[in-house]
Amino acid sequence: MSLISLQGVTKVYRVGEQEIRALDGIDLRIEEGEFVSIIGPSGSGKSTLMHLLGCLDTPTTGRMEICGRELSGAGSSELARMRNREIGFVFQSFNLLSRLDVLANIELPLIYSGLPTNERKERARKVAGEVGLGDRLANRPSQLSGGQCQRVAIARALVNGPRLVFGDEPTGNLDSATGLRILDIFEELNAAGKTVILVTHDPAIAARTRRIIEICDGRITKETLR
Amino acid sequence: MNFIVAIQTGMREIGSHKIRSALSMLGIILGVSSLISTMALTRGMEEGTRTFMQQLGGLELVRVVDKEPSAELFEFAVLSPGRTLRDAEAIQANAPLISHVSPELILKTTVSLENGGDPERRSVTGVIPGYFVIGMHAIDAGRFLTDLDVVRGSRCVVLGSTVAAELWPAVPATGLIGRRVLIHGSPFEVVGVLDRYEREEDKRARAEGRKVSSRRWDPFRSKNQAVLIPFATMFHEFLSGMFPEDSMHSIKLDAMPVRIGDLTRFPAALEQVRAVLQNTHRGVDDFDLETREDWFDRVESSVRAARLSGGLISAISLVVGAIGIMNIMLASISERVREIGIRLAIGARPSDIFLQILVESVLVSLIGGLLGIGASFGLVEVLKSISPTENVPIISAGGVFFSVAFALGTGLLSGIYPALKASRLDPITALRYE
Ligand SMILES: Nc1ncnc2c1ncn2[C@@H]1O[C@H](COP(=O)(O)OP(=O)(O)O)[C@@H](O)[C@H]1O
Ligand SMILES: [Mg+2]
Repeated sequence: MSLISLQGVTKVYRVGEQEIRALDGIDLRIEEGEFVSIIGPSGSGKSTLMHLLGCLDTPTTGRMEICGRELSGAGSSELARMRNREIGFVFQSFNLLSRLDVLANIELPLIYSGLPTNERKERARKVAGEVGLGDRLANRPSQLSGGQCQRVAIARALVNGPRLVFGDEPTGNLDSATGLRILDIFEELNAAGKTVILVTHDPAIAARTRRIIEICDGRITKETLR
Repeated sequence: MNFIVAIQTGMREIGSHKIRSALSMLGIILGVSSLISTMALTRGMEEGTRTFMQQLGGLELVRVVDKEPSAELFEFAVLSPGRTLRDAEAIQANAPLISHVSPELILKTTVSLENGGDPERRSVTGVIPGYFVIGMHAIDAGRFLTDLDVVRGSRCVVLGSTVAAELWPAVPATGLIGRRVLIHGSPFEVVGVLDRYEREEDKRARAEGRKVSSRRWDPFRSKNQAVLIPFATMFHEFLSGMFPEDSMHSIKLDAMPVRIGDLTRFPAALEQVRAVLQNTHRGVDDFDLETREDWFDRVESSVRAARLSGGLISAISLVVGAIGIMNIMLASISERVREIGIRLAIGARPSDIFLQILVESVLVSLIGGLLGIGASFGLVEVLKSISPTENVPIISAGGVFFSVAFALGTGLLSGIYPALKASRLDPITALRYE
């Protein structure tokens, strides 16, 4: 069974009288362990697709199954649970909480899965070590470089042991050398068995993944397997 | 998110906006401190009047007083002997709900030392032993008048503390027993000296060496001025000559207070007294019973008024406080939309966000409440030093508990709307928010 399976998925936004078909009939299967990039011009529907796949939203019509669960009409609590347990997000703008230190930021998802304090700290410390931040645990995000911030975000995405990791333009705010290091980490994650999906408009980044899904005007226009 | 984490998160949030949090707490601080102070003040007032009234005889004391008989009985009025010793004896014998009766004869006459000294005119009262209980007296030295004194008509006297001190300024009460005074020219032996009665406040002032203000009305003045001799002695010695047609049992009394044994049967006791007096007065309604209930009612209604106005002030401050907290919470969520979006993205449920905001609001008001309690202790300390009555404010555990509960409720109420608003944020919109 596929990890992700979409059938005839549409997402329609209404702005006044106007209907915007951000996604217009998407059929897609992604298997466990794949390394996928979604690429397309601005406004093509990449982010909308990622929000659906990442359980931040539900489709207007169509069927959507993730990790064996039918989520087309799921409620907000069920979606939250999926995001917490099965999905990790890495955003372009890091999205760290500036008032919390590195350890507390990484720990955050575990708070919502109800782990006891010492177990939370222990797991957060371990993941921080894995992304090379073992010595910056007490720092605030403002005291870190962009690359370090993105590592914190990756550690936070991984701390709950999700099967799916999403990156929405994860290198967009970084210089190219740092961006490459971050891509290396995603590659390593995929090698370790995680399903990784990157959203990007940069063909160079897409070229590092094994499967490239091109999208335009809410439709999948081309798929490339390397 | 569990409760403890929510509290930790809330405390951190409050701590990182100290000034803002303190400002939003201000209303709660004012509300709680005025609530506790009001409760302490009214409690003190009640306590003060209660002890005060107890010292003056309490509710149990009822006076039998003269009254104009009603017009239709006017012709019969002469049939009534009026208030006499017979009334007292009849009440004692036939009204079991009355524990004591005190028939009193009062004579203004001279009291002086045997060997000269200026004779001073004082109120001398002829009493029976029941007087001691009814007047809530206590003996400092010697003894009170006994039944035997009354029966014998012996020439003994019990003095109030002021009289004793004025007659023998430097002698302690114990040294006065057995000395003699001249009352209306006749020698009497001092058998007892009464306690010195004073208000709590004067007692404190004296203990601290401050001067006791003599300008204020002293409810214990007449008790301290007492010169008490046996009822029979009063009659035979001084009055039988003045009113030869009267016997000891027919002479009109100057006062006749009675004491009710069991306050729970107050109306029944009054009924018994009335029935007895109807009989001894031959059906003429020339007497009345004066209770202290009216007085109590007046005090109680003024306490109620004080409580109401204080309560109103507290309620207004608490409402203002609640609005303040809600306002700050709303401002703080619109500042934190992105944070909420991030929390939602990593798996917070809407209920987690709701809990977080609600707990934060409750924490603000609870801390405000605790500060308010602290402030009220200070305030009550100040009130204590400037309130010169015995109505010293008393902070009760109940009042503190009530205020904390009130602060808690305020926090809950003012937090619900912002928490609901925050929990309804759409994760994607919240994440995009700049
Ligand atoms: N919340 C929304 N309300 C209305 N229109 C939206 C909303 N989100 C996205 N859209 C529209 O849907 C289309 C796809 O947007 P998006 O998925 O963000 O594109 P991309 O990420 O590829 O740039 C765009 O035309 C955009 O304007
Ligand atoms: Mg986009």
